Amino acid sequence: MAGVAVVLPYLIEGTALAALAAGAAVAWRRHAQAQAQEAARVQGATHAAALAQAQARHVAQQEEAAHEHEALVAQVESLRAELAQRKLVADALEAALASERAHRDDAMHHAARIASEASRLKLMSSTFERWHEQMISLMAQNHDMHQKNQELSSIVSHVLIVSLNASIEAARAGAAGRGFSIVAGEVRALATRSQELSKSYRDSLNRNDLITAATFQDIQAGGKMIAASLASVESASNQLHTQLEAARSGAHA
Amino acid sequence: MIGTHAKDSIERIFFAAARTRLVTDQQHACDIAPRPGVAAQGEHLVVLTISSMQFRLLLLLHFEDDERTRRYYVGDAARTLTECFMEFGNLCCGAMNQQLVEHFPDLGMSTPYALSSGCLPYLRELKPDSVQSYAITIDREVRIGATLCVCTQTPLDFVASLAAIEAHDSAGELELF
Repeated sequence: MAGVAVVLPYLIEGTALAALAAGAAVAWRRHAQAQAQEAARVQGATHAAALAQAQARHVAQQEEAAHEHEALVAQVESLRAELAQRKLVADALEAALASERAHRDDAMHHAARIASEASRLKLMSSTFERWHEQMISLMAQNHDMHQKNQELSSIVSHVLIVSLNASIEAARAGAAGRGFSIVAGEVRALATRSQELSKSYRDSLNRNDLITAATFQDIQAGGKMIAASLASVESASNQLHTQLEAARSGAHA
Repeated sequence: MIGTHAKDSIERIFFAAARTRLVTDQQHACDIAPRPGVAAQGEHLVVLTISSMQFRLLLLLHFEDDERTRRYYVGDAARTLTECFMEFGNLCCGAMNQQLVEHFPDLGMSTPYALSSGCLPYLRELKPDSVQSYAITIDREVRIGATLCVCTQTPLDFVASLAAIEAHDSAGELELF
Protein backbone atom coordinates (compact mmCIF):
# COMPACT_ATOMS: atom_id res chain seq x y z
CA MET A 1 0.00 0.00 0.00
CA ALA A 2 2.81 2.26 0.86
CA GLY A 3 4.12 1.65 -2.46
CA VAL A 4 1.01 2.76 -4.00
CA ALA A 5 1.12 5.84 -1.87
CA VAL A 6 4.60 6.51 -2.96
CA VAL A 7 3.80 5.96 -6.54
CA LEU A 8 0.59 7.86 -6.56
CA PRO A 9 2.04 11.35 -6.29
CA TYR A 10 4.23 10.47 -8.97
CA LEU A 11 1.34 9.26 -11.00
CA ILE A 12 -0.59 12.37 -10.23
CA GLU A 13 2.37 14.52 -11.03
CA GLY A 14 2.84 12.59 -14.22
CA THR A 15 -0.73 12.86 -15.11
CA ALA A 16 -0.65 16.52 -14.37
CA LEU A 17 2.41 16.93 -16.30
CA ALA A 18 0.86 14.94 -19.02
CA ALA A 19 -2.22 17.06 -18.88
CA LEU A 20 -0.14 20.16 -18.79
CA ALA A 21 1.84 18.91 -21.61
CA ALA A 22 -1.26 18.05 -23.46
CA GLY A 23 -2.67 21.44 -22.74
CA ALA A 24 0.49 23.05 -23.78
CA ALA A 25 0.47 21.00 -26.85
CA VAL A 26 -3.06 22.01 -27.60
CA ALA A 27 -2.24 25.58 -26.91
CA TRP A 28 0.82 25.37 -29.07
CA ARG A 29 -1.20 23.62 -31.71
CA ARG A 30 -3.79 26.35 -31.54
CA HIS A 31 -1.13 28.95 -31.60
CA ALA A 32 0.46 27.24 -34.46
CA GLN A 33 -2.88 27.01 -36.24
CA ALA A 34 -3.48 30.65 -35.57
CA GLN A 35 -0.09 31.44 -36.88
CA ALA A 36 -0.70 29.25 -39.84
CA GLN A 37 -4.06 30.86 -40.41
CA GLU A 38 -2.48 34.26 -40.08
CA ALA A 39 0.25 33.28 -42.37
CA ALA A 40 -2.30 31.84 -44.74
CA ARG A 41 -4.33 35.01 -44.49
CA VAL A 42 -1.27 37.16 -45.12
CA GLN A 43 -0.25 34.92 -47.94
CA GLY A 44 -3.76 35.08 -49.34
CA ALA A 45 -3.76 38.82 -49.07
CA THR A 46 -0.37 38.89 -50.74
CA HIS A 47 -1.62 36.59 -53.45
CA ALA A 48 -4.74 38.68 -53.87
CA ALA A 49 -2.66 41.82 -54.13
CA ALA A 50 -0.33 40.13 -56.56
CA LEU A 51 -3.28 38.85 -58.48
CA ALA A 52 -4.81 42.30 -58.57
CA GLN A 53 -1.50 43.73 -59.70
CA ALA A 54 -1.21 41.04 -62.31
CA GLN A 55 -4.73 41.68 -63.44
CA ALA A 56 -4.07 45.42 -63.58
CA ARG A 57 -0.89 44.78 -65.47
CA HIS A 58 -2.72 42.46 -67.76
CA VAL A 59 -5.42 45.02 -68.38
CA ALA A 60 -2.79 47.64 -68.96
CA GLN A 61 -0.96 45.34 -71.31
CA GLN A 62 -4.20 44.56 -73.08
CA GLU A 63 -4.93 48.25 -73.40
CA GLU A 64 -1.42 48.90 -74.59
CA ALA A 65 -1.68 46.02 -77.03
CA ALA A 66 -5.01 47.38 -78.21
CA HIS A 67 -3.43 50.81 -78.72
CA GLU A 68 -0.53 49.28 -80.52
CA HIS A 69 -2.89 47.28 -82.64
CA GLU A 70 -4.86 50.37 -83.49
CA ALA A 71 -1.66 52.21 -84.27
CA LEU A 72 -0.49 49.36 -86.44
CA VAL A 73 -3.83 49.21 -88.21
CA ALA A 74 -3.63 52.95 -88.79
CA GLN A 75 -0.04 52.59 -89.98
CA VAL A 76 -1.03 49.77 -92.32
CA GLU A 77 -3.84 51.88 -93.68
CA SER A 78 -1.48 54.81 -94.12
CA LEU A 79 1.04 52.57 -95.86
CA ARG A 80 -1.66 51.16 -98.10
CA ALA A 81 -2.76 54.68 -98.99
CA GLU A 82 0.85 55.70 -99.60
CA LEU A 83 1.39 52.58 -101.71
CA ALA A 84 -1.69 53.35 -103.73
CA GLN A 85 -0.47 56.93 -104.20
CA ARG A 86 2.96 55.73 -105.23
CA LYS A 87 1.43 53.27 -107.61
CA LEU A 88 -0.55 56.10 -109.15
CA VAL A 89 2.62 58.19 -109.48
CA ALA A 90 4.51 55.18 -110.85
CA ASP A 91 1.75 54.54 -113.37
CA ALA A 92 1.76 58.19 -114.38
CA LEU A 93 5.56 58.13 -114.70
CA GLU A 94 5.39 54.92 -116.70
CA ALA A 95 2.83 56.51 -119.00
CA ALA A 96 4.96 59.65 -119.31
CA LEU A 97 8.03 57.51 -120.00
CA ALA A 98 6.17 55.56 -122.64
CA SER A 99 5.03 58.85 -124.18
CA GLU A 100 8.58 60.21 -124.08
CA ARG A 101 9.86 57.03 -125.70
CA ALA A 102 7.27 57.40 -128.41
CA HIS A 103 8.27 61.06 -128.90
CA ARG A 104 11.94 60.12 -128.97
CA ASP A 105 11.32 57.39 -131.52
CA ASP A 106 9.28 59.87 -133.54
CA ALA A 107 12.06 62.47 -133.27
CA MET A 108 14.61 59.85 -134.33
CA HIS A 109 12.47 58.98 -137.29
CA HIS A 110 12.16 62.65 -138.26
CA ALA A 111 15.88 63.32 -137.78
CA ALA A 112 16.72 60.34 -139.98
CA ARG A 113 14.21 61.54 -142.56
CA ILE A 114 15.61 65.10 -142.58
CA ALA A 115 19.15 63.73 -142.98
CA SER A 116 17.97 61.49 -145.79
CA GLU A 117 16.13 64.37 -147.52
CA ALA A 118 19.12 66.69 -147.12
CA SER A 119 21.37 64.00 -148.55
CA ARG A 120 19.00 63.46 -151.43
CA LEU A 121 18.68 67.19 -152.14
CA LYS A 122 22.45 67.50 -152.34
CA LEU A 123 22.09 65.68 -155.64
CA MET A 124 20.69 68.92 -157.02
CA SER A 125 24.34 69.96 -157.41
CA SER A 126 24.25 67.86 -160.57
CA THR A 127 21.48 70.19 -161.81
CA PHE A 128 23.69 73.20 -161.11
CA GLU A 129 26.53 71.49 -162.91
CA ARG A 130 24.21 70.92 -165.87
CA TRP A 131 23.31 74.62 -165.90
CA HIS A 132 27.00 75.50 -165.69
CA GLU A 133 27.76 73.26 -168.66
CA GLN A 134 24.95 74.92 -170.58
CA MET A 135 26.41 78.31 -169.71
CA ILE A 136 29.80 77.18 -171.00
CA SER A 137 28.07 76.04 -174.19
CA LEU A 138 26.18 79.32 -174.49
CA MET A 139 29.34 81.34 -173.88
CA ALA A 140 31.18 79.25 -176.49
CA GLN A 141 28.42 80.06 -178.93
CA ASN A 142 28.71 83.78 -178.05
CA HIS A 143 32.47 83.53 -178.58
CA ASP A 144 31.86 81.97 -181.98
CA MET A 145 29.47 84.80 -182.86
CA HIS A 146 32.13 87.32 -181.72
CA GLN A 147 34.60 85.75 -184.11
CA LYS A 148 32.13 85.68 -187.01
CA ASN A 149 31.19 89.30 -186.33
CA GLN A 150 34.85 90.24 -186.27
CA GLU A 151 35.32 88.51 -189.61
CA LEU A 152 32.27 90.31 -190.96
CA SER A 153 33.66 93.58 -189.67
CA SER A 154 36.94 92.85 -191.41
CA ILE A 155 35.13 92.08 -194.69
CA VAL A 156 33.08 95.27 -194.39
CA SER A 157 36.27 97.29 -193.80
CA HIS A 158 37.72 95.70 -196.91
CA VAL A 159 34.57 96.49 -198.92
CA LEU A 160 34.81 100.08 -197.71
CA ILE A 161 38.38 100.35 -198.96
CA VAL A 162 37.40 98.71 -202.26
CA SER A 163 34.47 101.11 -202.67
CA LEU A 164 36.79 104.05 -202.00
CA ASN A 165 39.21 102.73 -204.61
CA ALA A 166 36.30 102.24 -207.02
CA SER A 167 35.23 105.85 -206.44
CA ILE A 168 38.77 107.02 -207.19
CA GLU A 169 38.94 104.91 -210.33
CA ALA A 170 35.49 106.14 -211.42
CA ALA A 171 36.64 109.75 -210.97
CA ARG A 172 39.68 109.04 -213.14
CA ALA A 173 37.45 107.65 -215.87
CA GLY A 174 35.69 111.00 -216.09
CA ALA A 175 32.24 111.14 -217.70
CA ALA A 176 32.44 107.44 -218.61
CA GLY A 177 32.86 106.54 -214.98
CA ARG A 178 29.98 108.61 -213.66
CA GLY A 179 27.61 105.65 -213.38
CA PHE A 180 30.29 103.55 -211.79
CA SER A 181 30.99 106.35 -209.32
CA ILE A 182 27.35 106.26 -208.21
CA VAL A 183 27.52 102.49 -207.70
CA ALA A 184 30.79 102.82 -205.76
CA GLY A 185 29.19 105.48 -203.57
CA GLU A 186 26.25 103.20 -202.82
CA VAL A 187 28.59 100.33 -201.98
CA ARG A 188 30.54 102.61 -199.62
CA ALA A 189 27.31 103.74 -197.97
CA LEU A 190 26.21 100.10 -197.54
CA ALA A 191 29.65 99.16 -196.15
CA THR A 192 29.49 102.04 -193.69
CA ARG A 193 26.05 100.94 -192.52
CA SER A 194 27.28 97.36 -192.25
CA GLN A 195 30.23 98.55 -190.17
CA GLU A 196 27.90 100.37 -187.79
CA LEU A 197 25.68 97.33 -187.62
CA SER A 198 28.66 95.09 -186.87
CA LYS A 199 29.77 97.42 -184.07
CA SER A 200 26.27 97.41 -182.64
CA TYR A 201 26.18 93.61 -182.90
CA ARG A 202 29.54 93.40 -181.07
CA ASP A 203 28.18 95.58 -178.28
CA SER A 204 25.11 93.37 -178.03
CA LEU A 205 27.32 90.30 -177.77
CA ASN A 206 29.39 91.94 -175.03
CA ARG A 207 26.23 92.84 -173.16
CA ASN A 208 24.96 89.31 -173.64
CA ASP A 209 28.28 87.86 -172.41
CA LEU A 210 28.21 89.87 -169.20
CA ILE A 211 24.58 89.17 -168.38
CA THR A 212 24.93 85.47 -169.21
CA ALA A 213 28.14 85.03 -167.22
CA ALA A 214 26.84 87.01 -164.24
CA THR A 215 23.54 85.13 -164.21
CA PHE A 216 25.08 81.68 -164.45
CA GLN A 217 27.77 82.55 -161.91
CA ASP A 218 25.00 83.66 -159.57
CA ILE A 219 23.26 80.30 -160.15
CA GLN A 220 26.51 78.41 -159.63
CA ALA A 221 27.40 80.31 -156.44
CA GLY A 222 23.79 80.03 -155.21
CA GLY A 223 23.96 76.29 -155.84
CA LYS A 224 27.10 76.02 -153.73
CA MET A 225 25.42 78.06 -151.00
CA ILE A 226 22.41 75.70 -151.02
CA ALA A 227 24.67 72.61 -151.08
CA ALA A 228 26.61 73.94 -148.07
CA SER A 229 23.37 74.66 -146.19
CA LEU A 230 22.05 71.17 -146.97
CA ALA A 231 25.31 69.61 -145.80
CA SER A 232 24.93 71.57 -142.56
CA VAL A 233 21.32 70.37 -142.14
CA GLU A 234 22.35 66.79 -142.88
CA SER A 235 25.19 66.95 -140.36
CA ALA A 236 22.95 68.45 -137.64
CA SER A 237 20.24 65.81 -138.30
CA ASN A 238 22.77 63.00 -138.12
CA GLN A 239 24.14 64.37 -134.85
CA LEU A 240 20.62 64.58 -133.42
CA HIS A 241 19.86 61.05 -134.57
CA THR A 242 23.07 59.76 -132.98
CA GLN A 243 22.28 61.52 -129.69
CA LEU A 244 18.74 60.10 -129.64
CA GLU A 245 20.07 56.64 -130.48
CA ALA A 246 22.62 56.89 -127.65
CA ALA A 247 19.89 58.06 -125.25
CA ARG A 248 17.71 55.09 -126.24
CA SER A 249 20.59 52.64 -125.82
CA GLY A 250 21.36 54.15 -122.40
CA ALA A 251 17.71 53.87 -121.36
CA HIS A 252 17.53 50.21 -122.41
CA ALA A 253 20.78 49.42 -120.57
CA MET B 1 19.97 99.65 -150.55
CA ILE B 2 23.65 99.37 -149.55
CA GLY B 3 24.88 101.28 -146.52
CA THR B 4 28.11 103.25 -146.32
CA HIS B 5 29.46 100.85 -143.68
CA ALA B 6 28.86 97.90 -146.00
CA LYS B 7 30.58 99.69 -148.90
CA ASP B 8 33.53 100.57 -146.71
CA SER B 9 33.72 97.04 -145.26
CA ILE B 10 33.63 95.38 -148.70
CA GLU B 11 36.35 97.75 -149.90
CA ARG B 12 38.59 96.98 -146.92
CA ILE B 13 38.00 93.25 -147.37
CA PHE B 14 38.93 93.56 -151.04
CA PHE B 15 42.06 95.59 -150.28
CA ALA B 16 43.24 92.97 -147.78
CA ALA B 17 42.49 90.10 -150.17
CA ALA B 18 44.18 91.81 -153.14
CA ARG B 19 47.32 92.66 -151.17
CA THR B 20 47.84 89.03 -150.16
CA ARG B 21 46.37 87.07 -153.10
CA LEU B 22 47.07 89.09 -156.23
CA VAL B 23 50.83 89.08 -155.58
CA THR B 24 53.17 86.23 -156.40
CA ASP B 25 55.33 87.10 -153.38
CA GLN B 26 54.00 88.42 -150.06
CA GLN B 27 56.87 90.92 -149.99
CA HIS B 28 55.72 92.59 -153.19
CA ALA B 29 54.06 95.97 -152.86
CA CYS B 30 50.43 96.20 -153.93
CA ASP B 31 49.16 99.77 -154.26
CA ILE B 32 45.43 100.19 -154.72
CA ALA B 33 43.80 103.48 -155.63
CA PRO B 34 40.10 104.12 -156.31
CA ARG B 35 39.39 105.49 -159.77
CA PRO B 36 36.24 107.02 -161.20
CA GLY B 37 34.16 105.41 -163.94
CA VAL B 38 34.06 101.81 -165.09
CA ALA B 39 36.59 101.97 -167.91
CA ALA B 40 38.66 98.81 -168.21
CA GLN B 41 42.43 98.79 -167.68
CA GLY B 42 43.20 96.15 -170.25
CA GLU B 43 41.61 94.03 -172.89
CA HIS B 44 40.97 90.95 -170.74
CA LEU B 45 38.48 90.48 -167.96
CA VAL B 46 38.13 87.79 -165.29
CA VAL B 47 34.83 87.77 -163.43
CA LEU B 48 33.89 85.98 -160.19
CA THR B 49 30.67 86.08 -158.16
CA ILE B 50 29.92 85.67 -154.46
CA SER B 51 26.22 85.05 -153.88
CA SER B 52 24.14 85.20 -150.73
CA MET B 53 20.45 85.51 -149.95
CA GLN B 54 20.87 89.26 -149.38
CA PHE B 55 23.24 90.27 -152.18
CA ARG B 56 25.61 89.26 -154.91
CA LEU B 57 29.07 90.64 -155.30
CA LEU B 58 30.94 90.57 -158.60
CA LEU B 59 34.71 90.93 -158.61
CA LEU B 60 35.94 91.90 -162.07
CA LEU B 61 39.69 91.97 -162.66
CA HIS B 62 40.89 93.53 -165.90
CA PHE B 63 44.38 93.31 -167.32
CA GLU B 64 46.47 93.69 -170.45
CA ASP B 65 48.24 90.70 -171.92
CA ASP B 66 51.62 92.47 -172.04
CA GLU B 67 55.16 91.37 -171.34
CA ARG B 68 55.34 92.70 -167.75
CA THR B 69 52.08 91.13 -166.72
CA ARG B 70 52.94 87.80 -168.36
CA ARG B 71 56.37 87.77 -166.72
CA TYR B 72 54.84 88.46 -163.33
CA TYR B 73 51.95 85.96 -163.39
CA VAL B 74 53.07 83.28 -165.87
CA GLY B 75 56.82 83.29 -165.46
CA ASP B 76 58.26 80.27 -167.24
CA ALA B 77 55.07 78.21 -167.13
CA ALA B 78 53.61 76.94 -170.38
CA ARG B 79 50.21 78.45 -169.77
CA THR B 80 48.30 81.48 -170.95
CA LEU B 81 48.14 84.65 -168.88
CA THR B 82 44.36 84.34 -168.59
CA GLU B 83 44.63 80.80 -167.13
CA CYS B 84 47.20 81.91 -164.56
CA PHE B 85 45.37 85.13 -163.73
CA MET B 86 42.11 83.23 -163.18
CA GLU B 87 43.84 81.27 -160.39
CA PHE B 88 44.99 84.47 -158.67
CA GLY B 89 41.52 85.95 -159.10
CA ASN B 90 40.02 82.80 -157.60
CA LEU B 91 42.32 83.06 -154.56
CA CYS B 92 41.51 86.75 -154.12
CA CYS B 93 37.76 86.17 -154.33
CA GLY B 94 38.08 83.14 -152.02
CA ALA B 95 39.78 85.32 -149.39
CA MET B 96 36.94 87.84 -149.67
CA ASN B 97 34.43 85.02 -149.35
CA GLN B 98 36.09 83.80 -146.16
CA GLN B 99 35.84 87.26 -144.64
CA LEU B 100 32.24 87.81 -145.73
CA VAL B 101 31.11 84.44 -144.39
CA GLU B 102 31.82 85.80 -140.89
CA HIS B 103 28.90 88.18 -141.44
CA PHE B 104 26.75 86.16 -143.85
CA PRO B 105 26.71 82.45 -142.98
CA ASP B 106 25.07 81.42 -146.24
CA LEU B 107 27.46 82.24 -149.06
CA GLY B 108 28.57 80.57 -152.24
CA MET B 109 31.31 81.44 -154.71
CA SER B 110 31.45 80.81 -158.43
CA THR B 111 34.36 79.62 -160.51
CA PRO B 112 36.17 82.33 -162.50
CA TYR B 113 35.23 83.11 -166.07
CA ALA B 114 37.15 85.02 -168.71
CA LEU B 115 35.44 87.68 -170.81
CA SER B 116 36.40 90.61 -172.97
CA SER B 117 36.76 93.89 -171.09
CA GLY B 118 34.27 95.30 -173.59
CA CYS B 119 31.64 93.71 -171.33
CA LEU B 120 32.51 95.98 -168.41
CA PRO B 121 30.27 98.96 -169.35
CA TYR B 122 27.26 96.61 -169.29
CA LEU B 123 27.45 96.10 -165.54
CA ARG B 124 24.63 98.63 -165.42
CA GLU B 125 22.37 95.94 -166.91
CA LEU B 126 22.61 94.12 -163.56
CA LYS B 127 21.09 97.17 -161.85
CA PRO B 128 23.86 97.35 -159.25
CA ASP B 129 23.61 99.31 -156.00
CA SER B 130 27.30 100.01 -155.99
CA VAL B 131 30.07 99.93 -158.62
CA GLN B 132 33.60 101.01 -157.75
CA SER B 133 36.75 100.66 -159.82
CA TYR B 134 40.36 100.57 -158.60
CA ALA B 135 43.77 100.89 -160.18
CA ILE B 136 46.21 98.32 -158.79
CA THR B 137 49.97 98.51 -159.15
CA ILE B 138 51.86 95.39 -158.12
CA ASP B 139 55.56 95.35 -157.44
CA ARG B 140 55.71 98.91 -158.87
CA GLU B 141 55.42 97.75 -162.48
CA VAL B 142 52.41 95.51 -163.11
CA ARG B 143 49.21 97.46 -163.60
CA ILE B 144 45.83 95.83 -163.45
CA GLY B 145 42.32 97.05 -162.74
CA ALA B 146 39.54 95.83 -160.50
CA THR B 147 35.85 96.60 -160.27
CA LEU B 148 33.58 95.68 -157.38
CA CYS B 149 29.90 95.49 -158.23
CA VAL B 150 27.30 94.85 -155.52
CA CYS B 151 23.65 94.06 -156.26
CA THR B 152 21.32 93.78 -153.27
CA GLN B 153 17.87 92.32 -152.71
CA THR B 154 17.44 93.73 -149.20
CA PRO B 155 19.01 96.68 -147.37
CA LEU B 156 22.62 95.75 -146.72
CA ASP B 157 24.86 97.19 -144.05
CA PHE B 158 27.53 95.64 -141.85
CA VAL B 159 30.87 96.54 -140.32
CA ALA B 160 33.81 94.24 -140.93
CA SER B 161 36.25 94.21 -138.04
CA LEU B 162 39.64 95.56 -139.05
CA ALA B 163 41.36 93.27 -136.54
CA ALA B 164 39.62 90.22 -138.00
CA ILE B 165 40.66 91.20 -141.53
CA GLU B 166 44.27 91.69 -140.47
CA ALA B 167 44.28 88.42 -138.52
CA HIS B 168 42.90 86.69 -141.59
CA ASP B 169 45.60 88.26 -143.78
CA SER B 170 48.41 87.02 -141.59
CA ALA B 171 47.00 83.47 -141.61
CA GLY B 172 46.18 83.56 -145.30
CA GLU B 173 49.27 81.78 -146.55
CA LEU B 174 48.21 78.51 -144.93
CA GLU B 175 44.69 78.47 -146.31
CA LEU B 176 43.52 76.41 -149.25
CA PHE B 177 40.46 76.97 -151.39
